[in-house]
Amino acid sequence: MQRAIVAAGVGLLLMAGTLRAHHAFSSEFDVNKPLTLKGTLVKWEMINPHSWFHLEVKQPDGTAIEWMIEGGSPNSLIRQGVTKNSIQVGMELTIEGYAAKDATNKAVGRNFVLPDGKRLFVGSTSTPDPAPAPAK
Amino acid sequence: MRHRFIASLGLPLAAVVVAVMASPRVAGQTAGPAKPAPAKPAATKKYTVPRTPDGQPDFQGFWTNSTYVPLERPDNVQKAFYTDQEFEVAVKAAAAREAEQTEPGTVADVHYDFSQFGLDRSQSAFVKNLRTSLIVDPPNGKMPPLTAEGQKRAADRAAERRRMGATTDAVQNMPIGTRCLIMAGSGPPMMSAGYNSNYQIVQSANYVMILVEMIHDARIIPLGGGAPLPDSMRQWMGDSRGHWEGDTLVIETTNFNGKNPFRGSSDRMRVTERLTRTDANVLSYQFTIDDPATWTAPWTAEAPMTRSVGPIFEHACHEGNYGVANTLAGARLEEKKAAAAAAAKKGAN
Amino acid sequence: MGTRYGGLLAAPAMLAVCSAVLAAAGQAPAYRAPRTADGKPNLNGIWQTISEADWDVEGHSAAPGRVLALGAEDAVVPGLGVVEGGPLPYLPAAASKRKENFEKRLTADPEIKCYLPGVPRAMYLAQPFQIIQSATHVMMAFQYAGAIRTVYMTNHTDAPADSWMGWSNGRWEGETLVIDSTGFNDLSWFDRSGNFHSDALHVVERITAAGPDHLNYEATIEDPKVFSRPWKMSLTLYRRKEKGARLLEFRCVEFVEELIYGQLRKPGTKAP
Repeated sequence: MQRAIVAAGVGLLLMAGTLRAHHAFSSEFDVNKPLTLKGTLVKWEMINPHSWFHLEVKQPDGTAIEWMIEGGSPNSLIRQGVTKNSIQVGMELTIEGYAAKDATNKAVGRNFVLPDGKRLFVGSTSTPDPAPAPAK
Repeated sequence: MRHRFIASLGLPLAAVVVAVMASPRVAGQTAGPAKPAPAKPAATKKYTVPRTPDGQPDFQGFWTNSTYVPLERPDNVQKAFYTDQEFEVAVKAAAAREAEQTEPGTVADVHYDFSQFGLDRSQSAFVKNLRTSLIVDPPNGKMPPLTAEGQKRAADRAAERRRMGATTDAVQNMPIGTRCLIMAGSGPPMMSAGYNSNYQIVQSANYVMILVEMIHDARIIPLGGGAPLPDSMRQWMGDSRGHWEGDTLVIETTNFNGKNPFRGSSDRMRVTERLTRTDANVLSYQFTIDDPATWTAPWTAEAPMTRSVGPIFEHACHEGNYGVANTLAGARLEEKKAAAAAAAKKGAN
Repeated sequence: MGTRYGGLLAAPAMLAVCSAVLAAAGQAPAYRAPRTADGKPNLNGIWQTISEADWDVEGHSAAPGRVLALGAEDAVVPGLGVVEGGPLPYLPAAASKRKENFEKRLTADPEIKCYLPGVPRAMYLAQPFQIIQSATHVMMAFQYAGAIRTVYMTNHTDAPADSWMGWSNGRWEGETLVIDSTGFNDLSWFDRSGNFHSDALHVVERITAAGPDHLNYEATIEDPKVFSRPWKMSLTLYRRKEKGARLLEFRCVEFVEELIYGQLRKPGTKAP
């Protein structure tokens, strides 16, 4: 009986209002247009409500197209000590995601991966105070 | 490549949670059946709240109300508190749900992996709260019944939403958070935002400022009197006035404009909040909703806060809101394509 | 000074002599602001400029507005200017950009779209702001767009990322609050006439109480990508003294949605 209550409680403990309720991503990006992009980071806009990664993607003909990839709010990363200097312009990233419905070079980045296969951000499981950079 | 950040689930809960037991200060609240409330951590030593230089209780710093506890008690749960063990099991499962693999190629998959941004609750401080609901009064952990007017207003609002059309028809049809007008949980009352649910409190001699992280809403609460706004003046966050009752900050808010209703409230809602620092890392937060136009009785919830990490980076939402333009542009393009396809089909017939 | 009356009279007499000496030297005696409980000059309050700096920080005459139908209400209000010492020292390329900003101001001025105002523009908007001062933080809350500035009085660090309102580290120098700000993006303007900056902007402000109800405000602007040398502005901030003075909500995002997104609404639907 106890177990049943706990099991039922587990599912219902999850708060309804999670991230996904904020913003209907599927109205901005197309589930029928999955893509993988590999390119060089030229800019990371650390802005809200979503950050945007600008990726220069080389085409077979040698030209380059700039893609804008939507990611998450940077505020939690900043809380964990990530700054604009943490992610280097020039980094090679592979991004798996979905293309925008407006047919521009935009996508949402489901996964951000470095060349060695590591994920771009690894959130820490505890929240130590970030070591701030001393002001010059 | 789709491997989830499962390591976060094995985290020792003690690393990120702060124990919050039954608040000793809730007025009129019962713990339900005869089971004793969990032991209060302050039972053996009383916490002495530090003072600001002005001699007021010091609530300053960064706090979060991030929690897994729902507002209302789940239907199949009768008791008011889980055991420690039940809580740990439930939180692990909830964290797993947040980090779970989504089925590739599904609508649920069309989203950035927010665990990579530290946005899932298990990766930041959250409150260890054994309650089965935030609502402590009524004792069944649920909101009181709606009045007839409350039911009608809910029906009218739903009808208005249908009349307005699809959310992608125009920006005004989108949720207020998506429009960067206000995050619904900013209230008051202040409810967990789901992520970035942080607050910064700064106190001066005559004001308490509570900065809500998302969309940088600063609640500036004057202490000790001052004329209320006239009834004709209404604001999204209402009009708040505060005073101290012993070591508890009491904030009363009226004059809502009704554009961010709280669980169906009217613009005549009156919110009374009570904040008490019960421990170095715990800010007890209790709110009472008094809205006879909507509910048959006032109701009270406790949503305690625990220490969070500063600083709070600027949440300039409207300024970076590419998403609204992208969504509208995409919808217009899809309509054009659908219209062209229909015209082509017609022409072919 | 034999009698006690002589003693009582002596103090004001001495003060008058001091003032006279200082006045002769061209300086008013420094005003000593009341102190907060932690012993610092108390700058708490609701403040607002009475200047036309938001129209144009440089001296300017009255001029037609941007929208014909708004007539005299949109016309540019004349002002003596708040910039010290001559025209703004734009680098040549930047001077062209400034001119272009002016010509496009109706669509390009971020204030029209309810974007955060940046610094120092937030300080001289035609809406009040409130200073809430603790031992560790000086918060500035602006009525316009609910903008916020956090001034860190301890634990000075660098900006983790660029922002509209910048990253501000503050300290006391006697009666003066000195605020050193960097970490700005390049998206805000200095005024409605198109004066602008880059993301290299560095602002040092000095705020000093000059009396019980007014503050002297100075800001030194440095931006090597836009200006050939630093320049300085100065203006007065006045305390809002009316009964019940307070900030109200000016949540202007709601007022500009149709302006920004109206052309993307579904054809056949009407703006609210």
